[in-house]
Amino acid sequence: MAYEYPEGFVTPVESDDFEPGLTKETILKLSALKNEPAWLTDFRLNAFDHLQKIKEPNWSTVNYKPIDFQAMRYYSAPKFTNKDDIPQDVLDTFEKLGVPLHERDALLGLAPKVAVDVIMDSVSIATTFQAELAEHGIIFCSISEAVQHHPELVKKYLGSVVSYKDNYFATLNSAVFSDGTFCYIPKGVRCPLELNTYFRINARNTGQFERTLIVADDDSFVSYLEGCTAPAFTENTVHAAIVELVAMTKAEIKYSTVQNWYPGDENGIGGVLNFVTKRGLCKGDYSKISWTQVETGSAVTWKYPSCILRGDNSVGEFYSVAVTKHQQQADTGTKMLHVGKNTRSTIISKGISSGNSINTYRGMVRMGKNAHNSRNYTECDSLMLNNSRALTLPTVMQYNSSSIVEHEASTGKLSEEALYYLQCKGLTEEDAINCLVTGFCKSVFQQLPLEFAAEANKLLSVTLEGAVG
Amino acid sequence: MLVLQDVSISTDNKEILNNVNLEFGPGVHYIVGPNGAGKSTLAHAIMANPKYNVTGTMKFKDTVLTDLATWERAQLGLFLSFQNPTPIEGMSNFRLIKESLKMDSTKKIMDELNGFKGLAADLGLPSDWDKKELNVQASGGEKKKNELIQLKMLNPDVAILDEPDSGLDVDAINDLIIQLNNFVDTNKTVIIVSHYEKLLKSFNPATVTVVANHTTTQTTDATTVDTILSNGFKDFA
Repeated sequence: MAYEYPEGFVTPVESDDFEPGLTKETILKLSALKNEPAWLTDFRLNAFDHLQKIKEPNWSTVNYKPIDFQAMRYYSAPKFTNKDDIPQDVLDTFEKLGVPLHERDALLGLAPKVAVDVIMDSVSIATTFQAELAEHGIIFCSISEAVQHHPELVKKYLGSVVSYKDNYFATLNSAVFSDGTFCYIPKGVRCPLELNTYFRINARNTGQFERTLIVADDDSFVSYLEGCTAPAFTENTVHAAIVELVAMTKAEIKYSTVQNWYPGDENGIGGVLNFVTKRGLCKGDYSKISWTQVETGSAVTWKYPSCILRGDNSVGEFYSVAVTKHQQQADTGTKMLHVGKNTRSTIISKGISSGNSINTYRGMVRMGKNAHNSRNYTECDSLMLNNSRALTLPTVMQYNSSSIVEHEASTGKLSEEALYYLQCKGLTEEDAINCLVTGFCKSVFQQLPLEFAAEANKLLSVTLEGAVG
Repeated sequence: MLVLQDVSISTDNKEILNNVNLEFGPGVHYIVGPNGAGKSTLAHAIMANPKYNVTGTMKFKDTVLTDLATWERAQLGLFLSFQNPTPIEGMSNFRLIKESLKMDSTKKIMDELNGFKGLAADLGLPSDWDKKELNVQASGGEKKKNELIQLKMLNPDVAILDEPDSGLDVDAINDLIIQLNNFVDTNKTVIIVSHYEKLLKSFNPATVTVVANHTTTQTTDATTVDTILSNGFKDFA
């Protein structure tokens, strides 16, 4: 069966583009275009200077052709004068992708009521339910708007969790990020809507560098979900994002990702190179950050959504399903850095690989010397559908004697016996495979917001179509 | 009508059964024989278990089964109740029914779920049986009851039951007998693989097949069961 990626189309849209290439001028031009304050321009320039001193990392389990950073564009924005004047082609694109650009659909009950920030290439093109959220004091807008309207918050938290010196791609992002989502939940507020950002790459030969910053103040709660797709170009597209989360005392952030970037074709031609730095800081006592990710796309994925458990009694969670097929390479996992006392973390990672793909779990659990009585539980399971490869690379660092780290891992193939049993009861082979794979992922899917759990199941079965043979 | 003509079954080039000629019409049929003679093998070969190589001809409802996959045979109306039902993690007991019957409307799902819950309650299973993981952490008896629920819900034309009584207590066996009688009353076929005296004395079988010496012997003489129960299989050795 031929593999289908229904989101792989291109929208014909006029755009404002920068010429390919990355110099100091590129950054000054970008910063000026966005009318940024001097501190932000300096932040970018510091990152750019640092970038000149460091080298792109070379990973043990990930291979791709060298990226020519001077050959790609760093800015491409669909042309329209304001957000009420979005070209019909763009509206049609998001309609086709099932992303509600208008509040109307949700109010009519045609779409789940979630607030959405939609980012196409380098800019945010629409944000919904802002007024309703503002009634609760919640700020939900593009990061460019936040820089203009809430500079004190952005300045305080931008780069506070992921330093611009963190790693090569974080440095690159800090220099050239063009847009993204900002979200602030005030003290004591439970965000009444799911917040959602949808990232769409449309322009050829253009990197997407977005930043997400979420701050949950004391005693607040927010559930946020991001989704993404891209056209089926024959060359690679670079996506290097940063996500920073800050949870204050007793605050909880639930961050879910359904990553469906174009994975390339069966022979590994094209696809998105997905180099993402995601990190959450449990700053206050009793705070909680939970990452859930369903990764089916991208030619290469390289990301480790992590938690710094600084507040005493804070909690970090990481639930992941990563599916690879054909020539895809996924190197993903998490870091749980226990700093405060009585901190707890849970890691559940499910890798499913088929074809010639390689699926690696890379994780680190660090129990700091003051993280007394802390606990981690890690479970890494790999399911190999044919001659693909699965690797588990856990690291544990223990600097105190009262903490407990548990690690369980399993590797296996689909059980012939189970497939036969289900077929004896009338399930087709394909349905039986689907049932076994979704069963394998169940403990992770349960963590997704209800509206998206069914979609994740569907995405998984579409992804697996033709992957088993 | 399920017909086997000149069927041979082997695994890893080891011959298990040869020259198998059997016919199963409506009613109850017994398959008996000494341990390890190949009774379960016969049941699984009918369902195209990939472990076995089968030559000869099997026909069901005038369709030749040779090229049909396991699920195609099941969808044609064959059903196998397992001696040791396979655990399926992350899948609920009811999901199997839902997937197998391809339920699309919410109403249909609700109706079938109510039917499922009723059957589970009748068999004394816990009230959340529909949500429990399929054959995971269930006792031997519970698994057998679940196989019986599947039989009732999926409503095949031919049910092959491999040791359906093992793990069941006397009350549950009485339930099983009642359910199977109801099932054959609708002109269906039940093929029972069993050693158990109570079960073998509970029906008036249409045929009795003895599996021994790498082959099968089928008879319509129901008294064969009594002979075996008193003398064992030595007459067939």
